[in-house]
Amino acid sequence: MRALDSKLLAIGVVGGLLSGLLGVGGGIVMVPLLVFWAGYGQRDAHAMSLGAIIPISVAGIATYGVAGEVRYWEAIGLAAGAIVGARIGAGYLARIDERLLKVVFGVFLVGVAALMGARG
Amino acid sequence: MTGPTLYLALVAFGVVVGITSGLLGVGGGTLVVPFLTLAVGLSQHSAEATSLLVILPTAVVGSLVLRRHGVGNLGLALRFGVVGAVGSVLGALLALALPASTLRIVFAVFVGLVGLRLVRDGLHRESRRT
Repeated sequence: MRALDSKLLAIGVVGGLLSGLLGVGGGIVMVPLLVFWAGYGQRDAHAMSLGAIIPISVAGIATYGVAGEVRYWEAIGLAAGAIVGARIGAGYLARIDERLLKVVFGVFLVGVAALMGARG
Repeated sequence: MTGPTLYLALVAFGVVVGITSGLLGVGGGTLVVPFLTLAVGLSQHSAEATSLLVILPTAVVGSLVLRRHGVGNLGLALRFGVVGAVGSVLGALLALALPASTLRIVFAVFVGLVGLRLVRDGLHRESRRT
């Protein structure tokens, strides 16, 4: 077991900042930093990031909650679906063309970004 | 969309979110926030706040599954996350201080960059799961 060194502290704070600012988990920055900077293996980095998201999201929810921004019913509906979907996704993991899926989903996200920017 | 129709749409979209995050490791907040703003009509701040509440239970379930399979070290991850929680409070306070239109642009840039990275990974590299 590894202790919390300065690299991990820095990665945690950066991941947390991004999560609180944008309402995302923060894994998108934490996983690459854990792998390429802190020297974690891919699977361990993924597990580390996922576990860290628990206290990170709790703190973000509390902060937004005090400001009255959290919509509980919408979150429950989405979360119920997401937990079911994650099992389905994991089941297809071995059978998909991951590279093609990345390209398709990436193009979709660029489109989403343009749509949000246009309405901004 | 109102009432039960809206709720069914929320659950159905949640399934899509779960599938993409299960397959690609991205697609939690990057999908939930645009959906809540563009389709449901929440403000940017509410969408981000609500997205975090969707992410929390999925991270709990995911972490418990990994722990059962003996992957990672949940105790260390949680302590690491407590450090991150400091950043998260600061990030949320910064978001709350920004006007919705500015925050929306910042979010759009982030989603665009994630999208470009996925395209690049898919086109140029050997399949590598993050």
